[in-house]
Amino acid sequence: MSFHARMDYSPAKFHKSERRLADVGEPFRFSPEHQATFDRLVTHYPAERRKSAILYALYLVQEQQGYVSRAAMRFVAEQIGCTPAEVEDVVTYYVMFFQKPVGTYALAVCRTLSCALAGAERVTEALSDHLGVPVGGTDASGTFTLLEFECLGACDRAPVVMVNNDHWHEHLTPDGVPKFIEDLRVKGLAALTGCHHKVE
Amino acid sequence: MAYEPVLTKFVKEPNCYTLDFYKAKDLGYEALRKAVTTMQPNDVIEMVKASGLRGRGGAGFPTGLKWQFVLKDTPKPKYICCNADESEPGTFKDHLLMERNPHLLIEGCAIGCYAIGAKVAYIYIRGEFYHVQKVLEQQIEEAYRAGFLGKNIFGSGFDCDVFVHRGAGAYEAGEETALIESLEGKRAQPRIKPPFPAVSGLYNCPSAVNNVETLANVPLIISKGVEWFTSLGPEKNNGPKLYCVSGHVKNPGVFEATMDVSLKELILGDQYAGGMKDGRTLKAVIPGGSSTPVLLPDQIDIPASFDAVAKAGSMLGSAAIMAVDDTTCMVWLAKNLLAFYRHESCGKCTPCREGADWLLKLLTRIEAGEGQMKDIDLLLDVSKNIGGKTLCPFGDAEIAPVLSTIKHFRHEYEAHVREGCCTIPAPWRGTRAPALAGHH
Amino acid sequence: METVTLTIDGQSLTVEKGKTVLQAAIEAGITLPYYCYHPGIGVDGSCRVCVVKVEKMPKLQTSCSTTCTEGMVVSTRDKDVVEARAAVFEFLLLNHPLDCPVCDKGGECPLQDFSYSFGPAESRMDFPRRVFDGEGVKADVDFGPTLMLNRNRCILCTRCIRFMREVEGDAQISVADRGNGSEIATFEDEGVHSLMSGNLMDVCPVGAITTRDYRFKSRPWDNPSVADTICTFCSKGCSTSEWIKAKPEWARGSSLVRVTPSYNPDVNGYWMCDIGRFGYHWVEGDRRLRQPMLRTTAGTLEPAGWSDVLHALRAKVAPLAAAEASSVKVLASAHASVEEFFVLKKLAEGALGGVNAVSVLWSRSEKKQPKATTFVVPVTDAPNVNGARDLGFAVGAGNGGAADVSALRAAVEAGKVKALLVVDPAPAELTGDFQWVIDARAKGMLPLLVVQAVEMCPLVAQADIVLAGAAWLEKDALFTNDQGRVQAASQVLSAPGDARPDWQILIDVAAAFGVSLGYLSDADIRKAIAAAMPGTPYASVADVAFSRPVAAKHWLQASNPSERWKWDFMFQDLPPVKGHSVQTEQGFVEGRVIPLKPVG
Repeated sequence: MSFHARMDYSPAKFHKSERRLADVGEPFRFSPEHQATFDRLVTHYPAERRKSAILYALYLVQEQQGYVSRAAMRFVAEQIGCTPAEVEDVVTYYVMFFQKPVGTYALAVCRTLSCALAGAERVTEALSDHLGVPVGGTDASGTFTLLEFECLGACDRAPVVMVNNDHWHEHLTPDGVPKFIEDLRVKGLAALTGCHHKVE
Repeated sequence: MAYEPVLTKFVKEPNCYTLDFYKAKDLGYEALRKAVTTMQPNDVIEMVKASGLRGRGGAGFPTGLKWQFVLKDTPKPKYICCNADESEPGTFKDHLLMERNPHLLIEGCAIGCYAIGAKVAYIYIRGEFYHVQKVLEQQIEEAYRAGFLGKNIFGSGFDCDVFVHRGAGAYEAGEETALIESLEGKRAQPRIKPPFPAVSGLYNCPSAVNNVETLANVPLIISKGVEWFTSLGPEKNNGPKLYCVSGHVKNPGVFEATMDVSLKELILGDQYAGGMKDGRTLKAVIPGGSSTPVLLPDQIDIPASFDAVAKAGSMLGSAAIMAVDDTTCMVWLAKNLLAFYRHESCGKCTPCREGADWLLKLLTRIEAGEGQMKDIDLLLDVSKNIGGKTLCPFGDAEIAPVLSTIKHFRHEYEAHVREGCCTIPAPWRGTRAPALAGHH
Repeated sequence: METVTLTIDGQSLTVEKGKTVLQAAIEAGITLPYYCYHPGIGVDGSCRVCVVKVEKMPKLQTSCSTTCTEGMVVSTRDKDVVEARAAVFEFLLLNHPLDCPVCDKGGECPLQDFSYSFGPAESRMDFPRRVFDGEGVKADVDFGPTLMLNRNRCILCTRCIRFMREVEGDAQISVADRGNGSEIATFEDEGVHSLMSGNLMDVCPVGAITTRDYRFKSRPWDNPSVADTICTFCSKGCSTSEWIKAKPEWARGSSLVRVTPSYNPDVNGYWMCDIGRFGYHWVEGDRRLRQPMLRTTAGTLEPAGWSDVLHALRAKVAPLAAAEASSVKVLASAHASVEEFFVLKKLAEGALGGVNAVSVLWSRSEKKQPKATTFVVPVTDAPNVNGARDLGFAVGAGNGGAADVSALRAAVEAGKVKALLVVDPAPAELTGDFQWVIDARAKGMLPLLVVQAVEMCPLVAQADIVLAGAAWLEKDALFTNDQGRVQAASQVLSAPGDARPDWQILIDVAAAFGVSLGYLSDADIRKAIAAAMPGTPYASVADVAFSRPVAAKHWLQASNPSERWKWDFMFQDLPPVKGHSVQTEQGFVEGRVIPLKPVG
């Protein structure tokens, strides 16, 4: 029996959503090491609460392929035992997960008050000019993605830049931007000052 | 100054974060030993209660009471959730504490677990602090190896696990029920209270959510005693306190003091932030993180204590003091913070989700010189409609910068409208108009 | 029952302990708006419109999350409350498109109604509205095979998300992004694929989720009457409401435009499945049989009058039974009502050698549902297997099992059955496998086939005599669901053309076989059932009250107690609806579920 005997609906009549979706990506599985890491982290939580490990699973995905694709969301859903929609719900909520490939270095400039007072707005502008990309963009070589983040919690070393969700660089000035970028290109993450409290 | 730091005493020494160092020079898990081998859980709670320790995360709620409220008469497991999501703009004390003195926190977590009858503590650390997390995890490993965590600690039969849980970039995760939701693997959105976490928190089990600095104080209380603790600082505002001073100051950083130190000293004193940079004058102070109302320079000669700052019309909050100099446009400041709040609003409840966006749009318009006088009153009215009406304190937080800057600096708002542009364009500010609808 | 007594707006109320202030207010008829709360889903506390002032509490409280306590004093009309509520409405409407004139929800929209009642007169928002998928009708996007989604209208109450998670069992809907950019989403925008999807339209308090089935089809004020009945597509027997659209003045009658679940805590709660919700079109469809038919000597089926077909029965079929009772069999679908089975029983006992002459047929299908669902749609696609069982018919494995008509089939295929009477007041696809009957006819093994049906189908095409029956919406009838609950399905529409209620046809058929029953109405049959089955739940069926189509306004007031008051607004400013009145004979009956105990 048809549900919609008289339904004069055809998909062509209505347009699809304009919602931004994550990239589909390649079919995804954890590498054996990441699978082992995930299996270990899951044990931190009660057995029936696997969903608690979802953020870790997504970090591992991101470590493995640089961003969280839709294929990876499906994979994580299987690992966690939830629906892909619930994974997407989480991925889109937290700002540290990228839904599209980003450059080798994702530069997150802190834009909140203490950093802004120290010139973070100009740092972002200098980076944007130097790289030739707007905030959120990736340069042509695919090396740098420029992002703005909210307070990173290192206000005494403002302005701060976080690279690839992990590595930090402090006291970046607009004038220092060309050298910063050049150093990153040449020396990689070793060019960063880090953010360990200096032992004076 | 006679006060000798206890939380951050050794942070400048090499290897101060190692277990060996902690055992040689600091508490070395002796407080945990004392608690689990000589005290009943309730004794620990009573002791913390007697010390008057107040939560260091922002609200200043008595920690002992919080623990006492944790439902004991239940077969369900109990949890300590350590709030290391330090996201309040201007705050970076827990960052330092966890990175340089992690064992104090780990010991605090274990004692907290013992007190409330929990076997597991989760340290919810913000995702951006991965470098801190690595230190913390390594040191937790050390503590396990030394028998300070794990099974049958000090032969007392007390088991305790401490796990680090990494967040992923959400200010709202600092709210205790949102933190619990995030720990459960959902979006960090607050839950309706009651039930309070003490009754139904993590995994619907009784839980206590405590800030890093709060838990770090616990071993000190156990070790040095209630009297020592209450001898520090003014009444009801006892104990060591970490202050984060940032903004236009010469020497920004974390400073440990007791709560009789004045806000003014912390900003201008040479042993603290050392006064304003470049010889500029102080214009305004945010005393406790971006969610606390702005104070004027003539209001800061007060103790930096929970009660005194509240009396002055603001809040000590997370003790994140941001000082701005006279190059700062206060409309811009409010706009900067509202951009933060709009971005971080979780979107669950109506007034905050819709209100933050509206406030930011109005502020952007005014700051750009395109506003009207009525927009200023509209800002006040929209703020009033958000305040106290949201699911969590975020709503009150997001209106604090708006209300207090209009209260103290209405003339700057009016000047923007009148002149049709920003009247205090500082050299350190950006030159481009921000995109309004930007998200993520 | 433990109770607490509290005061709301000066009114002293005693309510069950554990109830929230919102529930207490709703039950007392005190109007409070709410969006994120739904009685079937639970408390979220996020929409903030249900705020009230509670004495001794410093802040306003959301009434949905505040449990009533003894001596509590609540105000819903305090100045602070009025202002706070208006403020939330201003926020809710900041970005709402206000396209009510083209919105399916318009006229029965809680956002519309409550905004008029509680919101500010005008908005102070002068920025462009937030738009997700384009403006106007372009914003309507696919949301699976049954639904449309318009994110611009959404107020993020998250009822749909929580319905999927908590009731449907498969969390297909989530929120994408956060804060002001939050939007309702499904993974990869694939939409909702669920047997329960229609309920999302019910729970959505705005026009964000609408059904394709009802899309642009009617407006609330064009649906002047509603009738409460039950669904008979499976053995669950959900309580439903049938929405009837008035046709223009120049056209006669009315038509069914929508089926929605109505609250029945014992059977379906607030929900129903899509099979029942969207599967009603055949009732007024083109395949309906509108008159009896007879096979002519030329071999074609031609329309006939009732007297002709009854005469044919008397002349051709009755003599066979008189000669050898076992040569005439009945194949009844479990879509036949209790009354119809009762008459069949009388017929079988009187002329066909006993109830064993009647075989009961139904179909079963596994429904694809998530494991975690709290609303299980049964496998049995027929409403009355238990009714047949209770009347003494052999139903084999019964509900959940497959029908067993193998004995009849063997007899037919062996040519031992000279005439077969099929009784099936449901679309043939729903009843099950008739192919073997058709095959037997083709092989000439079944000399006479009489079919009492509602739709043209291959089986009807093979019949010698066709009796045009009535769908469940066209007669008052009883069905016994899988819980053993005897439920009343009420007449909502008239049978089309010359078609007649099946009980009436069967009485005539019985008479043709010489079994005179003397029932003049369906009520007479129920009286006889009650008399014949003392000590069972059927003993009181003579007193069953059937509901009638009532003015939607009255229905709304009397429907689901947790939702009904909000509808009080709905028809306020509409002209009186013509031509429909409340049932007067028996009065309006709120619950049409007979309060009987389940059988065994």
